[in-house]
Amino acid sequence: MNPLFENDLRASRRELFGKTASGIGIAAIASLLEQEGMAAPPGKEKLAIPGLQGLPHFAPKAKRVVVLWQGGAPSHVDLFQHQPLLEQRRMQQVPDSIRSKGRLSTMTAGQKNYPVLPPIKPFKQYGKNGMWLSEMLPYTGGISDEICLINSMHTEAVNHAPGVTLFMTGSQIPGRPSMGAWATYGLGCVTSELPAFCVMTSMDTGKTCGQLFYDYYWGSGFLPSRYQGVRFRGEGDPVLYLADPSGTSRSLRRGQLDDISELNHRRLTEFGDPEIETRITQYEMAYKMQTSVPDLLDISKEPKSILDMYGPDVQRKGSFARNCLLARRLLERGVRFVQLMHAGWDQHGNLDTQLALQCKDTDQPSAALVMDLKQRGLLDDTIVLWGGEFGRTTFVQGDITKPNAHGRDHLGTCYSMWVAGGGFKGGTVYGKPDEYCYNVEADGVHPYDLQATILHQLGIEHTKLTYRYQGRDFRLTDVHGALVPGIIS
Amino acid sequence: MHSYNRKSLKSAFVLRGPITVLALTIIMPTAGWLALGQKVEVAAPRINYARDIQPILKAKCLECHGNGQKQGGLQLETRAEMLQGGASGPALLPGDSSKSLLIQRVLGAGGKPVMPLGFTPLTAAQQVLLKAWVDQGAVWPTGLEKKHWAYIPPVKSKLPAVQNKGWVRNPIDTFILSRLEKEGLKPSPEADRVTLLRRVTLDLTGLPPTPAELDTFLADKTPNSYEHAVDRLFASPHYGEKMALPWLDTARYADSNGFQQDGDTYQYVWRDWVVKAMNSNMPFDQFTIQQLAGDLLPNATVDQKVATGFNRCCLLNGEGGAIPEEQRNVLLFDRVDVTATTWLGATMACAQCHDHKYDPLTRKDYYSFMAFFNNVPESGVPPFGGQYRIADPYIVVPTDEDNLKIQAIESRLNAAKKIQDASESTPTLREAQAAWEIQAIGAGANEVSLDPWQMSGPYPADSFDVAYDRQFDPEVGLKPEKPYALSSSDHPIKWTPHPEFKDAAVNALSGENSAFYLFRKIRSNRSVSQRLSFGSDDAIKVWLNGAQVVADKASRAASADQELVTVNLKAGENDLLIKIVNGGGIGGFYFKQLEAGIPADIVKLLHLGLGRSAADSAKVRDYYLANLAPAEVKQARAATAMIEKELADAKASFPKVMVMSDAQPRKTHLLLRGNYESPAEEVQAITPAAWSPMPASAPRNRLGLAQWLVSPENSLTARVQVNRYWQLFFGQGLVKTSENFGTQCEAPSHPELLDWLASEFRDSGWNVKKMQRLIVTSATYRQSSKCSAALRVKDPENRLVARGSRFRMPSLILRDIALSASGLLNPKIGGKPVYPYQPKGIWDGLAITNERDFSYPQSKGADLYRRSLYTFWRRTVAPANMFDASVRQTCKVRLVVTSTPLHALTTLNDVTWIEAARVLAQNVMAIPGSDPDLKLAVAFRRVCSRTPSASEVKVLHRGLDRAMRIYRADPSTAAASLKSGEAPLDTKLDPCALAAYSAVCLEILNLDEALTRE
Repeated sequence: MNPLFENDLRASRRELFGKTASGIGIAAIASLLEQEGMAAPPGKEKLAIPGLQGLPHFAPKAKRVVVLWQGGAPSHVDLFQHQPLLEQRRMQQVPDSIRSKGRLSTMTAGQKNYPVLPPIKPFKQYGKNGMWLSEMLPYTGGISDEICLINSMHTEAVNHAPGVTLFMTGSQIPGRPSMGAWATYGLGCVTSELPAFCVMTSMDTGKTCGQLFYDYYWGSGFLPSRYQGVRFRGEGDPVLYLADPSGTSRSLRRGQLDDISELNHRRLTEFGDPEIETRITQYEMAYKMQTSVPDLLDISKEPKSILDMYGPDVQRKGSFARNCLLARRLLERGVRFVQLMHAGWDQHGNLDTQLALQCKDTDQPSAALVMDLKQRGLLDDTIVLWGGEFGRTTFVQGDITKPNAHGRDHLGTCYSMWVAGGGFKGGTVYGKPDEYCYNVEADGVHPYDLQATILHQLGIEHTKLTYRYQGRDFRLTDVHGALVPGIIS
Repeated sequence: MHSYNRKSLKSAFVLRGPITVLALTIIMPTAGWLALGQKVEVAAPRINYARDIQPILKAKCLECHGNGQKQGGLQLETRAEMLQGGASGPALLPGDSSKSLLIQRVLGAGGKPVMPLGFTPLTAAQQVLLKAWVDQGAVWPTGLEKKHWAYIPPVKSKLPAVQNKGWVRNPIDTFILSRLEKEGLKPSPEADRVTLLRRVTLDLTGLPPTPAELDTFLADKTPNSYEHAVDRLFASPHYGEKMALPWLDTARYADSNGFQQDGDTYQYVWRDWVVKAMNSNMPFDQFTIQQLAGDLLPNATVDQKVATGFNRCCLLNGEGGAIPEEQRNVLLFDRVDVTATTWLGATMACAQCHDHKYDPLTRKDYYSFMAFFNNVPESGVPPFGGQYRIADPYIVVPTDEDNLKIQAIESRLNAAKKIQDASESTPTLREAQAAWEIQAIGAGANEVSLDPWQMSGPYPADSFDVAYDRQFDPEVGLKPEKPYALSSSDHPIKWTPHPEFKDAAVNALSGENSAFYLFRKIRSNRSVSQRLSFGSDDAIKVWLNGAQVVADKASRAASADQELVTVNLKAGENDLLIKIVNGGGIGGFYFKQLEAGIPADIVKLLHLGLGRSAADSAKVRDYYLANLAPAEVKQARAATAMIEKELADAKASFPKVMVMSDAQPRKTHLLLRGNYESPAEEVQAITPAAWSPMPASAPRNRLGLAQWLVSPENSLTARVQVNRYWQLFFGQGLVKTSENFGTQCEAPSHPELLDWLASEFRDSGWNVKKMQRLIVTSATYRQSSKCSAALRVKDPENRLVARGSRFRMPSLILRDIALSASGLLNPKIGGKPVYPYQPKGIWDGLAITNERDFSYPQSKGADLYRRSLYTFWRRTVAPANMFDASVRQTCKVRLVVTSTPLHALTTLNDVTWIEAARVLAQNVMAIPGSDPDLKLAVAFRRVCSRTPSASEVKVLHRGLDRAMRIYRADPSTAAASLKSGEAPLDTKLDPCALAAYSAVCLEILNLDEALTRE
């Protein structure tokens, strides 16, 4: 069988059989499915957009994912990794033995001194579990019993675009499908009135960060383009070309679609091409989407108590807080994968001023989303992932004596992310960094491992969700990745 | 998004023809599936090990039972190994699959775990093939058969015998028909003439036929009327535009570098080269050699160098911390991938970290291939800059337009020079100069000294603009008469000495969106003129003694001589104040004192007096005129200087086309795990051993590589290329995996035809148009795409080509169709990219720092209606309405056409289509007469080429009446609906009627038939 074809085949098999079943050996087809181990297990979600046959591979713990991407790389040294020794070593050099294990970006690779800059604000303990977090993250502290904090993330990437691309697509070089594309390709979606994979972006209020979000962060790579994430936009049409043109009333549009459909049906009769039928369906879905998206975005009926949870920024379109609230609305409407991309953490030279502001932008809304999902009973089967492409150096970049002229450079050898819901272990801190928060000493988690674990929670064996392209079975985790049992319950 | 896919299950089993049938009968002997299609009784065909079995073993078994792996003591690389078997006994009993362990284990018989353990099991089809092979005696090939078919040079087989000879128009048809007759199928009738002309016009030019072209064709009753039309289309300049599109996808062409700062490029000059080459029918071997190695040809022309832009269309990462050598290696990987995919259909990238799992390509082969590209004098990252970021090596290529512009500026310059000459050659001026010379000799030496720098700042602001505009304390109250106080009682400003700031060097300043003030005193023993040089990152203002002498809101990295200024120092103390405004990243400044007073060399010449040469006298005179002459002379000189600067600027804006060069030979090493930091053994540039060797005469460089690709012995290039032509005209290739001709590729549906076409193409001197003409004039191509239910069940994917193909056009062409049908299309060929309509804010996310302006410079007038080929393609954000397009980041030789609600929203709501509908409506309303049916039929024909049936017109007319009712009920909505687009509105028309016609024209543009080539 043509392997390429095999991929699409799985997705369309059921529909095709549905259409041509009369007279065809149904038993034969069923037996073929059985032989290939693709028969659907019982108790599956009712899907409006079908996924692959045979998926999920086993009963999933989670059905949805929301990624709260913190672009620019938050400082794990200041926020997540409590290491009191650093204060004692203030201004001492980070030893060569510690530094020699990783690459640095060209911004500090030539630096002559590497003095320790301890966390700029104190840490404190939060929650029943007593998790140490920066005092700049009070709201995250408030949900610490829900989150699994991974302090042993590590990556080869030391620059932003390759780092984000690796986490999102499993390769530092653009061109592979993103995690959300894989998930929707494999699992389909329970709603067809909204895109199965939605993306929203936001920028730090000071716009100091300088991080760009490329569309391949939510691209479909070599998967068909219908699996790519759909970006919701802060201005103009929330989804490109969503609004009817000015002067076109809904009744006129309905009439236009009726005419198109009627003429297309005639063509279908004449040519017998099922693509025509598909087109008719897609035009109808477009019509529905024109209602469902504005409904999604209309937060006027959200009670004040909910809006207050997300903080004052929720009133500002395009803010991270607003996006968090919209993420919840997307998830409860059955969207499979939501990816919020926030830029704001690249503090090379302005750590003292910008870090606190960034925490303010993101801490409350992130926690609010977790709480909001929880109170709706959605947290159990929704994975909430928080973090960026790498961490930041323990040593200072720039002039430590000047308050607004120093910060930290990129660090790939050790950083932190947290995960909540979806069967991840709340109230846990996982992994062991060294005493400089510079390298991982034990229980390292690579992006591939986290990808494998996220897929696992979705009921996907990461080595088995593959797509044949250029003669090779590609998968999100490339040839890597191992389940991390210690972070899931 | 959900969509039905045109691909479906059963076709997979039809692909191999006879084998298919076998597969089905074996899986489901009683299924009755075949009964629905044409029942075909054929003898069990012979399984071909190399074609059918080896790929399965490689993909599924050899990872653990081959390549030195011997799990369970079993190896499966040779027949002997299979017969010998492993711990559980022989794997193979030739002739009886049911008793062969190999088969039992892949089926999981007897409750044993299914092999391959931990990987996707064999598909049903693979199982069937394997069983059949064993049952046929597990025949292992000898000699050539071992080789993958695509690695054996194609030969022209004899044309097969067919019964229905009358149907055959050329050899293509013989191969297709022979296969159909074996399957008991008949070809479809020829498509009607309208459909045929629309099909071939769209295929060859990407535009629908005009009504006039349709009329001419329909009226032409000569037997060769179709061939005449085809020849006309091949001669059309739009042919090259259409053929360029898939090539640009292959070459991952874009108009910018990608990544942060996404600098623009001038690679459109290369794009125009492609269009020209296609139009002039450049033979494919030349097309290949020039693009891969035009620079290495003897006496390479500018065009030949431009052609090598092919391998410079890669992404360039301009991120602040990007490591150049890492990025340079990414570029090399990209070139290997693009070159191998484009010409060889080879998945070389698989051999980057380890030997290729399936194909006979080693890691050493990979790096030896990479060595061809490793001599480019490039750093790996683009330089800093503004809008354009052009990485070395590049050549400057003025366009015709540029040359005209230069001529115009030069003629103005000549006129200005005449005026200047006249003003400078008066006797009074000569006398004044003589007096000055005497005075200057007697005056003695200048003494100018500089105090160390002091700095105040950074002064942060909300944005770059604010930081530049705001007068922070150090510049408040600056006045020429009250120049400066380092601190006053009103404004206690903190100044810090910075003795470490060096002159004639860039000094770094850190702080984003911030202003810095630098101050120093300059002491002079007399009033004297002084030249100063400044550089800044980013913007700069300079004051001397309170008077502003420089203001440049630049966004750049600092370097010497970015600002050159001559000032007049007074005797005693002078105050020099600089303001530097930094946007993002690290800022900095540069300062150097150039000549003070009369430059030493001029003084020397003055002392020579009458003894100096004419040239020296001219130097002295020039100095005098520039610095001391009366106002009118200075004005004339300034006018000339301004035009000279204009000329220099115009020349600086000439396209700089990034091209290939071998000017920096490097050693190439095998890289462990593809890591540039882990070089292993050194390798030499050579092509992989599994393929035909490089011609002895070919140099071991890119030129040799290109010559090898198009050498007669190369088994892949011609096949890969004709397959892509087939894909162009039938929607899919004879080998459907057009990007992969390795052992894992899909076997060709018509192997003998593929080889015949490849040989023909090669033997014709790689004549592209001739090959394509053969395809589009075949009876096969001319078939109707209407399909009976029975045929669809038998061959849902149309692999047997018993009918014409029918597929949605790419979105770039959909836009062209709308523009052309409405009459808006601007047919201009080539040139700078244009910026048609795009929703607000698409690029805004790119404007993360102030290094450059990322607002979308929407075109005006005719540039809005150029073909999509010319739309500016920003690599980080593709044009918003070009859905389903290749992303132009990696090489793509095959587009997957999908259907989603978002596509429907685009063609229903984007201003491009709304405006086209309105203009189409205006045009048909202008037709004399009052019969709406006629007008609607004309609109329909302009879009779909055919005349609609009466009942179809009735539907449209009903739609028109409905729209009219809605608009008449609220005429303000009609007015609102007509505001889309910049094309002039025909105000003589009744707005409600025009709006209603526009609504129906939009329906027509959105018909499946309008979006599809049938």
